[in-house]
Amino acid sequence: MGDRLWLALMDSRASGCTAAAALSGGGCLVGWLQDDQPVRQARRADPRVLDVAGAAALVSLVLPPEDGLWLFDDPAVQQARRAVLADARPADVVTTLLLDASHFAGALTVRRGEGAAALLRDDPFGRIWPARVREVGPGLLGTVAPPPGPTIERHGSAVPWPGGRF
Amino acid sequence: MGFGPDRFPDLVLPDHAGGRRSLSELAAGDPLVLQTFRGPWCPKEQAYFTSLLRFQDEAEVAYTSMVSLSVDPPEVLSALRAGLEARWTFLSDAGREYLDVLGLRETTDTVNHPYQPAVFVLAPDLTVRAAYNGYWYWGRPGVDELRADLRALTRELRPDWEPPRG
Repeated sequence: MGDRLWLALMDSRASGCTAAAALSGGGCLVGWLQDDQPVRQARRADPRVLDVAGAAALVSLVLPPEDGLWLFDDPAVQQARRAVLADARPADVVTTLLLDASHFAGALTVRRGEGAAALLRDDPFGRIWPARVREVGPGLLGTVAPPPGPTIERHGSAVPWPGGRF
Repeated sequence: MGFGPDRFPDLVLPDHAGGRRSLSELAAGDPLVLQTFRGPWCPKEQAYFTSLLRFQDEAEVAYTSMVSLSVDPPEVLSALRAGLEARWTFLSDAGREYLDVLGLRETTDTVNHPYQPAVFVLAPDLTVRAAYNGYWYWGRPGVDELRADLRALTRELRPDWEPPRG
């Protein structure tokens, strides 16, 4: 076990993972709590999002193209974080995804309940790269109180926004 | 004010989206600027929000949380927040739960019983570092005064205020 949460899209539940849940359309979203990257496609996420008792949900997953990483502090990525904070109906979970300290490696947004699908169609990070909206099964993702605002900076470059604190 | 000179009460109230939030949770380890205001209808509050919006654009990169508090219900605060394009948390004390605890009841308004305007700069542990009585408009702090308060507080909080050498 470690302090870092890694998430990856996999064909099936990976051995040694902390939790996993099936995605509509096939495959699994898999999470590991450990220090080292478990598989090549895994990205770091805010550890608070992991909840093995979490209910099924809709997720919007935004991932960059293979050759298209942007800087985390690119103005477009900053503006997407501002849009998350401005949202009058906060998501159950929002976490940016990281591969290193400099780049934005995607985002995961989780919603449940009435209007979830419509709200996810306007995922602010989906303005940067196309968002994949899927149903995800129970046992992986919880609910995290929305960030207080207005901070859009990471609490250290290795910490996925909006998690962490000094 | 009805609370001790050192520590602000850890209020627990609905936010603009209806979720219950505590002040200590909203500080999240960072300095916190708390504003109480009469309501969206007050021209003085409308004017002061333009200052807070300018302040928001700096606070978003300076690890500082912001909270605005009034007696308006969450749906009114949500609409106000959206109209302002504010990206910080608004708390609703529609039940007037803390008006007298804080000693901030606007006694000259015997119909609506709103909060007196005030601004507090709080440390992460809710210690009061500065308090401004905004009953008269000029009592409210300008952005430069908030900046000075937060500079002093952040200098105390961050052990690396002086950058590491060598």
